[in-house]
Amino acid sequence: MTGASVAVPVVDGLFALVAGEARLTGTRCASCGTHYFPRAISCRNPACRDKQVEPAALPNTGTLYSYTIQHYQPPPLFRMDDWAPYALGVVDLGEGLQVMGMLTGVPLDEIRIGMALRLVIEPLYLDAERGEVLTYKFAPLGGEQAA
Amino acid sequence: MSRPVYVLGAGAHPWGKWPETTQLQMALDAMNAALGEAALGWPDVQGLVAASSRFQGGMGWGLHANEVAQAAADQGMACINVGGACAAGAIAFSTAYAMIASGQYDVVAALGAEQMPRGFIPRPPGSQDDPTDHDYLRWVTMGATNPAFWAMEAQRRKHDFGTTDETYARAAMLMRRNAQGNRLARFRKETGLEEVLGSPMVADPLHLLEICPVSDGAAAVILGTEAFARRSGAKLVQVAGCATATGSFGDPGRRIPTVSGSVRPGISSTSEVVTAAERACAMAGIGPEDVDVLELADNTAWHILAWPELLGFCEPGEADGLLASGAFDIGGSAVALNPSGGFLSFGEATTAQAVLQICEVSWQLRGTAEGHQVPNARIGMTAVLGLSSNGGSVILTV
Repeated sequence: MTGASVAVPVVDGLFALVAGEARLTGTRCASCGTHYFPRAISCRNPACRDKQVEPAALPNTGTLYSYTIQHYQPPPLFRMDDWAPYALGVVDLGEGLQVMGMLTGVPLDEIRIGMALRLVIEPLYLDAERGEVLTYKFAPLGGEQAA
Repeated sequence: MSRPVYVLGAGAHPWGKWPETTQLQMALDAMNAALGEAALGWPDVQGLVAASSRFQGGMGWGLHANEVAQAAADQGMACINVGGACAAGAIAFSTAYAMIASGQYDVVAALGAEQMPRGFIPRPPGSQDDPTDHDYLRWVTMGATNPAFWAMEAQRRKHDFGTTDETYARAAMLMRRNAQGNRLARFRKETGLEEVLGSPMVADPLHLLEICPVSDGAAAVILGTEAFARRSGAKLVQVAGCATATGSFGDPGRRIPTVSGSVRPGISSTSEVVTAAERACAMAGIGPEDVDVLELADNTAWHILAWPELLGFCEPGEADGLLASGAFDIGGSAVALNPSGGFLSFGEATTAQAVLQICEVSWQLRGTAEGHQVPNARIGMTAVLGLSSNGGSVILTV
């Protein structure tokens, strides 16, 4: 892949734009209704007998269950341009599903448990070979449009 | 058939950073100390159960028991190596217990020895870049370190119960205070409130001194029958209960390294540890109210408040007040919480940590916990959590 305009997901198959909206790709158990993220090869519910799992576009809005601000740079497996302390949150997406991710579009001192959030896809870093590398994040609902 | 099992002896290599030695040497030191306390020698040991580490030793195959046997006693022992990450020591203990209770062996040792890499614990070498692997995703998509998981629990507790930054700091201070008299602990200096709150913020609301670092250390416990227990003439310490468990479907806890949870109502957080502790209590025929000493896995100050509540020692939200009143102190009115000084004063030597917890309880019950003895301790309990939903708990009595 060449060209500065190319943008690639940090991990293939983890999220997608569905009708212009960012959605996480997970798994839904058709037998018991449990949602999983990322994709799961089987249903973990011990009471579920059939475990008929299928790909699912997960809910893309929710509320903040909890959060933290990381003040130390994570090990090199994590790449991020212009590193600075940033927020991570756990977001309750409904359907019993809670997903962790970076928070964006909100000052670190204005993050509040219970705030409404939506899924966005944003650049994480620029890679010389792959181009712009994207990850999923959560932004305030009704906030600025993601890049 | 099931017969009573006793702790014959316990031993440990002091915790710290020991780059000049090897995990094998530390394992041998711990074993020799435990054998000394038991008044036994290597020829008496019929089986060796080791917690397998991924960091050092074991010939790359996790064969830590075999390494010890080949170094110290080539004598036809049963060597068993168990995985379980930070709970591996408790799983090794439960395995050794079963080997004796079943009648198959009379003397079996459980041990864990660890030399840890510096800094944040990295992914295992050679791991695949698998888009369904949580440990891969938590790094590349968001860079979530282990403290970030604990910090989100701590932040939520502030929201749910009004826990203050000062209370978290005082939980860490209790651990440092307890460690002052413990020669095995790495951090033995009494630490003040300003020092804890003034230490660098790692992941809000947790400061550096409220999070356990990593250390090198080793611990061993020799288990055996009553006949062997009577040899040393020391007070008889019986294994009243021990159990391991995985988690329950729907657990709402933040589980390292998972980037999501499929949550169901009515399921306890940290359910693997809760279930293991409940099973151990059922086996011993006791409840939390009977326990004099509790050694729990305090990876952070949050654990010191949350775990006694999860394990049924008090109601949700009550731990803050109990801590403030001194009820968790050595000699306090509730259970003595981590009289050893806990992970916060030792630093975690992953696979060795759960064995050290058991050593500590044994010393407390024998009355030999010099410098940090809980008065009249008769029932002690351990609780530990390991990666990938491994819970372990052990109850000893005199």
